[in-house]
Amino acid sequence: MIRLTVIFLLVCCFTLATILDAPFSRLRASTDSSEGVLTALMGDSRRMFANHFFAMADAYFHSGFYPTIFDTARAEEHSHLSEEAHEEEGANGHDEHHEETFLRTPNDWIERFGRHFYPTVHTHLHNGNEREILPWLKLSAEMDPKRIDTYVTAAYWLRTSLHKPEEAEQFLREGLRANPDSYEIMLELGRVYFYNKKDARVGRNIFVLAQDQWLKQDAAGEKPDPGVYEEILGELLRVDRKQEDLKGEVTDLEELIKYSHSKETLEAYLKELKAKMANQK
Amino acid sequence: MNNIFAVAGVVIKEMYRRKDFYVLFVLTVLITMLMGSVNFFNDNRIVRYLKDLCLLLIWISSLIIAVTTAARQIPAERESRTIFPLLAKPMGRGEFVVGKFVGCWAACGMALMVFYFFFGVIVASREHTLPVGPYFQAIWLHWICLGIVVALALLGSIVFAAPSSNATICLIVVAGIMFAGGHLNGVALGMRGIGGTIVYAIYYLIPHLEWYDVRDLVVHDWGAIDWLIWAGATVYGVLYAGFLLGMTWLLFRRKAFA
Repeated sequence: MIRLTVIFLLVCCFTLATILDAPFSRLRASTDSSEGVLTALMGDSRRMFANHFFAMADAYFHSGFYPTIFDTARAEEHSHLSEEAHEEEGANGHDEHHEETFLRTPNDWIERFGRHFYPTVHTHLHNGNEREILPWLKLSAEMDPKRIDTYVTAAYWLRTSLHKPEEAEQFLREGLRANPDSYEIMLELGRVYFYNKKDARVGRNIFVLAQDQWLKQDAAGEKPDPGVYEEILGELLRVDRKQEDLKGEVTDLEELIKYSHSKETLEAYLKELKAKMANQK
Repeated sequence: MNNIFAVAGVVIKEMYRRKDFYVLFVLTVLITMLMGSVNFFNDNRIVRYLKDLCLLLIWISSLIIAVTTAARQIPAERESRTIFPLLAKPMGRGEFVVGKFVGCWAACGMALMVFYFFFGVIVASREHTLPVGPYFQAIWLHWICLGIVVALALLGSIVFAAPSSNATICLIVVAGIMFAGGHLNGVALGMRGIGGTIVYAIYYLIPHLEWYDVRDLVVHDWGAIDWLIWAGATVYGVLYAGFLLGMTWLLFRRKAFA
């Protein structure tokens, strides 16, 4: 009887294995990427962790001077980290000390005394120490590959202060694979080619791709960020100037005037360009 | 004094015979080494995340060691009935409590030395520098903080029935103080009426353990704290631990053992 039971159990196991093998293989294939595994394990909570890791990067950028949930949050939409990353090429004010602080006047001696045990001075990392924020940005991207700001911010520091354009490009391409419609990532990728690899032709092609993507989303009523479009057009103008393409410069400038806040200055420059073109003819 | 050191010596021997410390230390080493081996954008000069993680693990491990060691001291003596011959000898209950405290605190100090030695090795290998002043202050303040925690757990072992409940409550209280203790005044100011007054009173009464956590200063290389401030924190910690030990002694003195 026992022998029969054992043989019966063995047959059951064999049959079950043949039945379950196919669905398990499909499941394995769907969770093969790290994103798949993370999604299966953590669900939507990974977005919360991604935001936390991005905030950690911001805290590191300020060398630990960062508000806790108890401190009055500043009415800012972006962190300093991404603000710096969104600054125009050539600006290098990331090492300056700002006077602003989230710390209020201490209410009592305990609070006053306690301030000696944590950073209370607002500083930004500089001289290549920006590298310290990178692990948190990488983790943030692992947790939420759809978080575009993470790729753009990391790539900005990699290609500027840290002089690592190859790593910046690789990270941006990872971001582009997860977000194929992101004009922000395309803009940053174009900058890698134009400013770091000194390849104006490829840079221009990527800026044009970013422009097309922005216009496509605008036409679809998705309300893409007009500030980024202004940046794209600004970069296109710089490429035109570099390539001495007057015609392209005029076309891009006319487009920029439609969206820019400083129309008057740009219109004067447009007149100047048109006069230059007429002289060349 | 001899009685105190005799009791303390037994506690220290007990710590290195138990496996808690070794397990926590090996875990800390393994996790730190694993995270240290991760390559972020081909840059091997990135070190602050590793310091942060290592210090966090050291803090968690040391708090677990301090609370679990202190919480089981008196209940274990009572359960094994070894407390009777101990107190029957010419040894006061005060000496017994102080001996237990000194033993636990010294054991925590030894564990801290091992943990911070490992931390120092990691930092020196990555940063090629070891700022002695700030690190000494960090270890010292950490040790003072553990002194308060040990005294709190000893007091808890008189108040609560089981070491497990005492350890759990102590860990929750310590974590709560470290997370929110320094912000209770802000919370109190936002409240109205008697509730605000009670919260403000709690703010003044609790031990401000958050002062002793200087991880941010160490991780981000802010340099040493003013030595007068450091001394002030030490005096506050010693006084608070003394107060908690006094309370423990008062309760232990009246405790009847069946």
